[in-house]
Amino acid sequence: MFDALFKTFFELSPVVFSQGEFRFAASPGSYLAAAAIAVAAGLTVVAYRQTQGNARTRDRVALAGIRLAILGIILVCMFRPLLVVKAAVPQQNFVGVLLDDSRSMLIADVDGQPRSSYVKNEFGATDRGLLKALSERFTVRTFRFSSAPARTTQDSELTFGGSQSRLGAALSGVRQELAGLPVAGLVMISDGADTADSALGEAILGLKAESLPVFTIGVGRETLSKDIQVGRVVTPKTALKGTTLMVDVVLSQSGYDGQKVTLDVEDEGTLVSTQEITLPDAGTPASIPVRFTVTEAGPRSLRFRVSPQAGELVTENNAREALIDVRDRKEKILYFEGEPRFEYKFIRRAIPEGDNIIVTSLIRTADNKYMRQGVDGPDELVAAFPKTREELFAYRSLIIGSLEAAALTGDQHRMISEFVDRRGGGLLMLGGPRAFAEGGYAGTAVADVLPVVLDRTKLQAKGTVMRLTVKPTRAGAATAVTQLGANDAASAERWNTLPRVTAVNRIDSVKPGATVLLTGTDESRAEKPMLIFQRYGRGKSFAFLPQDSWNWQMDASIPVEDMTHENYWRQLLRWLVDGVPDQVEPALTTERVEPGEAATLTANIVDPSFVELNDATVMATITAPDGTISDAAMSWDGEHAGQYTVSIPTAAPGWYEAKIDATRQGKLVGSAVTHFRAAPGDAEYFDATMHAGTLRRISEETGGRFYDPANTSTLADDLRYTGRGVTTVEEHELWHMPIVLLLLVGLMCAEWGYRRVVGLA
Amino acid sequence: MLSAWRKLALLVVAGVLAIAGLADVLVEARQEGFFGRERRRGPEISYDAKAEYDGRFSFTRVRYSTASELASGRFRREPTWAHDFPRADFNFLKILGELTFVASFVDQGNVLTLDDPDLARFPIAYMSEPGFWTMSEAEAAGLRAYLLKGGFIIFDDFRGNHIQNLFVQMRQVLPDARFQRLDATHPVFHSFFEINALDPRSGYYSDEGDAEWWGIFEDNDTRKRLIAIANNNHDLGELWEYSDTGYVPVDLSNEAYKFGVNYVIYGLTH
Repeated sequence: MFDALFKTFFELSPVVFSQGEFRFAASPGSYLAAAAIAVAAGLTVVAYRQTQGNARTRDRVALAGIRLAILGIILVCMFRPLLVVKAAVPQQNFVGVLLDDSRSMLIADVDGQPRSSYVKNEFGATDRGLLKALSERFTVRTFRFSSAPARTTQDSELTFGGSQSRLGAALSGVRQELAGLPVAGLVMISDGADTADSALGEAILGLKAESLPVFTIGVGRETLSKDIQVGRVVTPKTALKGTTLMVDVVLSQSGYDGQKVTLDVEDEGTLVSTQEITLPDAGTPASIPVRFTVTEAGPRSLRFRVSPQAGELVTENNAREALIDVRDRKEKILYFEGEPRFEYKFIRRAIPEGDNIIVTSLIRTADNKYMRQGVDGPDELVAAFPKTREELFAYRSLIIGSLEAAALTGDQHRMISEFVDRRGGGLLMLGGPRAFAEGGYAGTAVADVLPVVLDRTKLQAKGTVMRLTVKPTRAGAATAVTQLGANDAASAERWNTLPRVTAVNRIDSVKPGATVLLTGTDESRAEKPMLIFQRYGRGKSFAFLPQDSWNWQMDASIPVEDMTHENYWRQLLRWLVDGVPDQVEPALTTERVEPGEAATLTANIVDPSFVELNDATVMATITAPDGTISDAAMSWDGEHAGQYTVSIPTAAPGWYEAKIDATRQGKLVGSAVTHFRAAPGDAEYFDATMHAGTLRRISEETGGRFYDPANTSTLADDLRYTGRGVTTVEEHELWHMPIVLLLLVGLMCAEWGYRRVVGLA
Repeated sequence: MLSAWRKLALLVVAGVLAIAGLADVLVEARQEGFFGRERRRGPEISYDAKAEYDGRFSFTRVRYSTASELASGRFRREPTWAHDFPRADFNFLKILGELTFVASFVDQGNVLTLDDPDLARFPIAYMSEPGFWTMSEAEAAGLRAYLLKGGFIIFDDFRGNHIQNLFVQMRQVLPDARFQRLDATHPVFHSFFEINALDPRSGYYSDEGDAEWWGIFEDNDTRKRLIAIANNNHDLGELWEYSDTGYVPVDLSNEAYKFGVNYVIYGLTH
């Protein structure tokens, strides 16, 4: 529209003006004319100085000015202003046309038509549309791209089935393929929804270095009028069977403000959680916490979905998949209790036989006298608390009950610190008369690990107890451990009715990086931290202040069937062992790869005291979806201690299982199993609006232009003036632009009118 | 000058008075122990003694009504549930504190009924003379919930056919639960001290029958924890009470303490 108007007045399109240079082609006649005009100018000035009539000075100056302007324009025209521009010689240059061949082009948001229909109409054949216009002036090389560019010659090769859009790779690929040829520019037709991980920056730099401009045409709408999208879902990579997980699901929508929808979580087809939610305001993504329990072992593919609503343009983005490797194995926790008390009994009671968590406990009943429970055999913990790192690191987590610091040797203190820091285990210290600062832990290596600050001068007065009602904090309410009911409201209600507990440890402050999950309110309405968590090194530590949470089980107000106490402890202990590494710890860079792409498998190998091993023999046994088994040797990556990698090619889509066995000097170090998937991604459907910003950026940084599909009439001509390729110099005379004539006429009328108004003849 | 007959009369009267006094003392002693009401013990020894819970263990004695009390309305000066109270309780707590790391109240008694909500604060309970034990509905419900949620009860001081009443009462509490005989291999006899043999003639009432140990298991499953333990023809309380006198042999009172400590340690760990 603007272009058309511009052309009417200026005869040439704005592109020409932006690419061209001004010059004056003066001839001898110009200088004669200049002289004449100078005389005329002088006469004007003289004339207006002497005019009679009731003209004021100001008016005379204005009139003189107008006359001089007219003369000035004529003078400029006499000097023959030229616009010199490089124009591509017809048919001597190439133009690369890049057509987006990805699935997002099938979205039908352009007046009910899919985006691909524009491509088919304009670039379908050389006898119509833009392709015709371009072919008349250039030699056109057409490419289609999704994950990588490929040359196409026929319209039928466009299938719009690509599962990715890698704009950067497409641009770089085409640039390299057309290197050496005289290319006037590139034309890219896309919706701009880039699904590549790497930035476009590199590709753009390459284009800038060669001064190759890209003209982009953005198809599709910038906003989808009616759409619900399930955004990112962050789930843990592994989980222990039977754990309840709290996951945040990001939802965004447009066109469905305030509507209620159901958010379902499906575990391979089985519904594990469903909740009704109110959609957030349009455009603003909202994070919805979802709670569900993983009950089946193995690699599970969880789908988080909102059922498609009426009128939704894109329904493929209503569901997200997440992969969780659910492990069904026994995780051992070592619980060292310093005195016989009910808290010990009821914590053990909360974890049933056959559960995935095994609590191996050592309780000191008298001085130097211990009872062991939950041990595998008569030799386990026979010498009381472990004295070597190998023995201690065999456990996944450690609970220390009311046990004074002096009961452990200095080396044992250091071992506990390393247990969390290096081994990555979890530590939980329980409240009691011999715990925390009251037990002499202030200033010890264990105190460094704990998430609370211990001050040996600030102790709970002997013989006094705090009586507290416990409630979750805001941060705590977002975790699974504080969920006592089926939903948030039921959980909050339950916390309000739980009986009071007592505490005998004074904690005034927590460490800077720690999170308080539960607080207790005492009789004077003061709030004290009750359950505190922090990450420490590779592991984590908790402090649980109440010394008698067993009241949540035994109190007269609690029904016999009530499982609050049991559920609380099961969740807490599961969190304690969550993510604690093994001696062989596998990792994958991505859980899903495209079929045909190679997956990079990494494993961290350590010895029993969790020191990295660089000389182990590591073998990965891969089971493909069709059952074929292959072996791949993993080698140390040479850079990171203990890290071994191998690249696994994938051909068929489906689940792949990798079993990693590590041996050293003939002895088995450990084994691990992990899974990954080869499947086409569905990233195409997410954020599938037309990204004008990306396309504009590409065109502006490379010296091209961005077009709407409706305004592409000037594209073919604009390409001529990129100044690249085989060009000739075009000179355009500017003096006969309509605007010049209009200006002259306009100014003359103005002067005449002004004179009449003022009263001069 | 008193005549001989007068002297004799005086002697007889003095004698009768003395015997009466002695008898009174003896009767009192028989009923209340050699040292009477233990006034020198200090506070919290009344039959309404209730410890204020602060997280610690306490020796909790169960108070119940007997059938005759309920029928007649008259309550004995020393009810059956209060046998050996409070000296047995305190002596036992002292020994427990000396030998183990159990943190407990040592100077407060703790007497609760089965329907008292505060019973839940003390998941180990002791009942003396269950042969005379009766319950109301509320008490039965209270004990049922207490045991099913994790409580542990010790039945002591009964002999002969008292055990029948114990069985009947417990059936009211837990209709499906069955008392089973325990042998020396059970973990309760090894929880602290190693009691390798249960000598049937070691019972306090060995003249009435062999000492037997009975227990109720959770879900009647012998692999699960004990929720109740009862020693027939035995009276640990009596042995604890008189352990600091010469009234009972040291061996016997030592054994009694061993059982008591084992019961408590078992109840705190299982």
